[in-house]
Parts: sequence; structure tokens; C-alpha cells
Amino acid sequence: MAALMFTNTPSIQKAVSLINNLDNSKVSLLLSRILSKLYVSESRPFSEEEESKLQGALDVSGDDLGLILETLEFFVQQAAYHSAKPQVLASQLKGLEINEDKVDCIVEVWSNGAYEVINRLKSKGLAPKVLEDINWRLNLQLAQSSKVKLKAPNTLIELALKSEDSEQKERIRLDFSHEELYEFYQQLETIQKQLDTLFK
Amino acid sequence: MSIIQVKGSGKSVAPDRTPFFGVRVPKEIKSMIKPISKIEQDLFRKLLKLLVAALEGNEIEYDDIKRLESESLSEETIVIIYAGFMTLLKSALKHTSLKQEMFVEDLHELQIPEIFHNDLSSVVYGSRRPKIDNFSNEQRPRMTRLDNLKWRVDVAISTSVLNRVLEPSIQMEMTLSDGTIQSFEVPISQFHKLRYNIAFILKEMEDLEKRSILKIKD
Repeated sequence: MAALMFTNTPSIQKAVSLINNLDNSKVSLLLSRILSKLYVSESRPFSEEEESKLQGALDVSGDDLGLILETLEFFVQQAAYHSAKPQVLASQLKGLEINEDKVDCIVEVWSNGAYEVINRLKSKGLAPKVLEDINWRLNLQLAQSSKVKLKAPNTLIELALKSEDSEQKERIRLDFSHEELYEFYQQLETIQKQLDTLFK
Repeated sequence: MSIIQVKGSGKSVAPDRTPFFGVRVPKEIKSMIKPISKIEQDLFRKLLKLLVAALEGNEIEYDDIKRLESESLSEETIVIIYAGFMTLLKSALKHTSLKQEMFVEDLHELQIPEIFHNDLSSVVYGSRRPKIDNFSNEQRPRMTRLDNLKWRVDVAISTSVLNRVLEPSIQMEMTLSDGTIQSFEVPISQFHKLRYNIAFILKEMEDLEKRSILKIKD
């Protein structure tokens, strides 16, 4: 990937010098947390309380800590956006004059977490309702008020939808006779054929 | 084990069989037996036409009955006969495997005049039967059904957080029989689950229809 991910701005230069002064193990830990929380929610990777503890542990000011965290997050955001290969990320980070041992830390965290993060971002849809669960029950109808000795199978299918704006799942319940279910299946088969042509 | 056969006097129905109308003669049928001896085949056929129309799901108006009234036949009597034959036909149509000879045998037992037997048989065993069965099937209580399904397959190219996504997703819009419309996204993993489950149920249904797991005899 030849795309330039990082531009050497004054604020990045400042962040780089701060990061270069940190312990390797601490850089790894900070970045792991940032990566695991990347775009997960609107909240920041560390709580306010954690951030004040980090200030002491890393011996930096609040502003500097903020800069370090934002810059590290920016590194993985860019790496994720371009689905960067580790060696590409490494060479680009070196271009920002980050010490080699720190570059190794960052690249290692990225290599370990990249697959999971990118998959998560791939499946991140914007649809307000998403199918989350399927339940069903198969019945055999034996009689009804106007008929006796029937043997008619039917099925109840419940589709649970996860809705963006409410905690509760919405449920669609559908009643299918054998014929109706077959018709539904035919439509799913058509969709499947479309998907198959995509991955040929 | 011994089987004791009880033969009632004048009863032609074999004791090992329950007549199609049940063990007891329904009171609607009982009350029409006397009046039907008075009606002509022509009027009976007109009445039967109304009955079949009703069984096929058509609305029967008061005027349709009123029109059959004559000096010798009051509206009240017509209504009694209508109700009687309705009960009789509905009881016969309940059965999926009632043999025609048995049906006629039971008509004798009920003392329905023989001139009506052929016409009654033609309702139960004739070409209108599928339409009648269809309507009664539609009348069964059911949960919401899927009336219409629209779908589309999308492939995401890029998003605000990912330059190259290339991940397909499916949008479905379901119109249900109660009129509600639901739109939602089906992620690929869920789509495979849905398709697998539906195929599985279909297989189970077919097995269910082939095997008589519940030992239901016709």
C-alpha cells in the first residue's frame, strides 16, 4: 500500500518525542486498549479516572497524555483504514522518526489485532435494524373447526431484530405452510446465487 | 377380548362406524327432517346453490332466502331447512376420507328423501369440493404471514473507517399479512443461518409428511 498515511506535523513531532520517552511495555498496553476500543463506542478508550492514574504512571502532564493517546489512536485508525500490512506501517512510522523499539511495539500490537479489528469494521453497518437471531417451531396440524384428521405441517418462525434506538429486540413472527415456506426458500436461494457470483 | 355387536332394529349403519354427523343427530338436522318432505327437487336445487355459494365463501343475503318463499313454504321453514343442510354438509365436508357409499348410507339413516341424495353427493364429492376445501382452509386461525418479500444485495466498497470493505450485505423488506412493513439488514453470517434453518425445516416437513410418526390413520 503506497498511500501516505502520516504527515509529519508539529503536533505529531511533539507526540513522537513523548512516545519515544515511554517504556516499551507501556506503549504496547496503551495501544492494545486503544485498538480494542477502536470505533466500538463513542466513549474514549480510557475513563477520566484511568487517565488521571496514567498521568502519574507515565509521569506526563494531562495535555501530553491526551496528545499521546490521540496520536496512538490516529496511528491505528490510519492503519485500519488502509488495512496496512505490518511492514508498511513500520516503514511509515520510522519516517516519523519514532525509535525502532517503539515502532516494533506498535507494529506488533497492530499485527496481532488487525484481523479482528478490520473484520469488526467490515461488518459495521449503518442499518437501524439488523437480523440477529432466528427461532422456529415446527407443528403438525391435526384438525380445525371445519376439518378433522388433517396432517398439515406448519412452522412458526421468529426473526429477532436488533434495533439501534431501543435495547429491546423487535420480533417478527411468521406462520408458514409447507408451500409458503418453500416459496420463501426459493427466494433465499436466488439471493444465495447472487452471492455466489460475487465470490467467483 | 370379545366384541359385542349390538344391532338395533331397523338400523342400517354398521355398529363399528360412527356416522359422518357424529354419534347424535345434530338438532339442526333433526328439525329439518319433517319440513323437507314438503319441498320439491326444484326448490331444493335452488337452496343447494345458495349453500354451496356460502361454503365457497360468498356472502348470502336475506333476500336470497326470501325469494324462495311461496304460499306453501314459509320463510321460517326455508331457514330451518337451510340450517339443516348447512350442518349436514359441513359435517360431511369435515372428513377427508368419508366414502361415498357411507355418506349415502348415513343419508338413508337420517331419512333424507332419496331424490336429494345425488345432489348432496355431488357437493361433497364433485368438482366444487376443492374450492370449498380451499375456503375452509383459509378460514383457519393463523399468525401473521409473509405477504411479500423484497430484497437487495449490496457490496460495501468503502466506509468512513475502512478504505476497502468489499463485504456483501442483504437488505430485506417484508410485508406481513397484518399490513406492517419491516425493513432490516441481514448480515451474511445471519443469512447463512436463515437459509440453513429454512432448508432444515423444509426437510423436517417432508419427512413428517412421508412418515406417519403420529400413527394417524385415514
